[in-house]
Amino acid sequence: MSMKINTHAKSAELFQRAAKVIPSGLYGHQGPAEGCCIPVSAYPLFSQKAQGSYFWDVDGNKYIDYMCAYGPNVLGYNDPDVDAAVMEQMKIENCVTAPSTKIIEFAELMVDTVASADWAFFAKNGGDTTTAAIMTARAATHKKKIIFVNGYYHGVAPWCQKIDYPGVLPEDVKNNLYVDWNDFEGLKKVVEENEGEIAAFISTPYMHGNFVDNILPAEGYWKKVRDLCTEKGIVLIIDDVRCGFRLDLAGSDHFYGIEADLICFCKALANGWNVSALCGKDWLKSSISGLSYTGSYWMSAVPFAAAIACINKMKEIDLPKICLEKGTMLTDGLKAAAANNGFNLSVTGEPALFYLMLKDDDSLMLHQEWIAEVVKRGVYMTNHHNHFINASLTDEDVKHTIEVAEDAFKAVRKNHPELG
Amino acid sequence: MIDQKTLAYINLYGVLGTLENLCELAPEAQSILTNKKPISIGFDVKGGPSATITFNNGRCRMEQGCAKCDVKLPFSSCEKFNGLIDGTVTPIPSKGFLHIKFLLNDFTKLTDLLNKYMRPDPADLEDPDFFRISTSLMLYTITVAIAQIGNNDEIGKFSADHMVDGEIAFSIKDGPSSTIRVKNHRLLGIKKPCESPRAIMEFSSIQLARDLFDGKVNAIACVGSGDIVMRGMISMLDNLNRILDRVALYLA
Repeated sequence: MSMKINTHAKSAELFQRAAKVIPSGLYGHQGPAEGCCIPVSAYPLFSQKAQGSYFWDVDGNKYIDYMCAYGPNVLGYNDPDVDAAVMEQMKIENCVTAPSTKIIEFAELMVDTVASADWAFFAKNGGDTTTAAIMTARAATHKKKIIFVNGYYHGVAPWCQKIDYPGVLPEDVKNNLYVDWNDFEGLKKVVEENEGEIAAFISTPYMHGNFVDNILPAEGYWKKVRDLCTEKGIVLIIDDVRCGFRLDLAGSDHFYGIEADLICFCKALANGWNVSALCGKDWLKSSISGLSYTGSYWMSAVPFAAAIACINKMKEIDLPKICLEKGTMLTDGLKAAAANNGFNLSVTGEPALFYLMLKDDDSLMLHQEWIAEVVKRGVYMTNHHNHFINASLTDEDVKHTIEVAEDAFKAVRKNHPELG
Repeated sequence: MIDQKTLAYINLYGVLGTLENLCELAPEAQSILTNKKPISIGFDVKGGPSATITFNNGRCRMEQGCAKCDVKLPFSSCEKFNGLIDGTVTPIPSKGFLHIKFLLNDFTKLTDLLNKYMRPDPADLEDPDFFRISTSLMLYTITVAIAQIGNNDEIGKFSADHMVDGEIAFSIKDGPSSTIRVKNHRLLGIKKPCESPRAIMEFSSIQLARDLFDGKVNAIACVGSGDIVMRGMISMLDNLNRILDRVALYLA
């Protein structure tokens, strides 16, 4: 039986309406341009509802969602336990002059959960915490330079953008130094060349860049980086915004056998409720205490209640185990579906955050065609970003996804007789 | 924020280089050159670009260097050459005084005509033929300007450093097309359609391209609406867009 092919007339109509009053219609990573929706017509642009691993678009199409709102959906949309905690807290208080004691409860839970954490500082977005981490490192060391790994993404504040980005000044990024991922000798060289000037080394736990295969840390890499940072007085910041909790509830630094000085969390922290956290070592606590850095909603109690419920549930169900198992089952099936149809699908990164790339042409156009066919058949994936597993994903969802992938590969092959 | 050397490269290869296309597309240009003897003008910019423009049989061709030319115009600096383009510097030939008439009359007429198409009066754009020629010339100028910014401007070079090798098709649907070739982070603007693109940036119509070139619409917004189609190695297009942002700065 042939699969239903989704169309998106209502999405397109609403996008035109949005574009009249919203810059670029939809800006940022959830918009069609930055989100690499190719072609745009293959993608739903607005949802009308969500539940578990699914969302329904405004045209009434249902999708198994492997982007999980770009990470926050970790337990399943509308998780009953998290939402019950939210409803209960909403009846009590949320954004109040004197914050709720939920902040203490949440900080205690973070310190108990995250291996490297002696304290927790809360904000709203991942970028709030990476900025807090950089400011803390500079305040603690009185040094200005920051080392980044090429291909990095640590948010959208000017310091972590690039010199050629609109609105960014050369002065915003003049203290940024760059090294390649896994290149410990290169890192050592940069440290030597800037002796006494480096405040921090910031990195994700593994390299999950776009348009390239994701790369795990080489054997011994993190241990050597940790030792170098300790020896040179460089603050080691792990940006765990994307990976956090999906690999290890104690933090991805713990997963790879080290302890960061500062570690940033956001996406999977509260199953979609708006809160982020920076955790750190005791020796940096007085430095962050001195920062002038806060926000109107940073101490709201409802997201704290959501996060507490989310963390407790992730522990209860052993979330990393689920993500590993389901991610492995899915990606094995996708690779087999590709091979069955004569395609070479590269799957990289950790299974919980798998990254896909068809290797059959170096322009990625075939890859984009295949992903578009997958999306049109009701499985939401993106072209050039890692995907996310969530706990509510069923084996039946995985099985159906593999069937969709297989059908999409067949469609691509049919459209390209020249491939043989 | 503008680097004079980069501007000189754009002015010579991008702006004056578009005389090639002007002579091909605009009937008025061809009539200026009708029954004229072949002549070549060399531009030699100290610390910057050098090129020779040859007019022959109603056609125009630009080549790098100016070892062989009938008229040679030396400029002591990039700033001086840029002054020629913005009308504040009058060039003095070091060679070819006998051809000064062509320089003062026909060449000036051609550059005035180019200016008419490149900085058009809104009323002229009402004429569909003028509109098409003007927008096509802009596409070619921008193509070359992108390459020069990627090769010379400090921030443009940062963008080029993040581009992988391959060719980008830069085109208008049912209209003119050009190619940006990337090799070892050096860019080359080719005013011909791309045969084997690694990335494609296509404007849905000549009107849309015009609006984008005039800064009336934003490329990112147009991607969402489907007015600009991007495919292939999107990282190349991301960086191309960043350079494109700087084109407006230089060609303003």
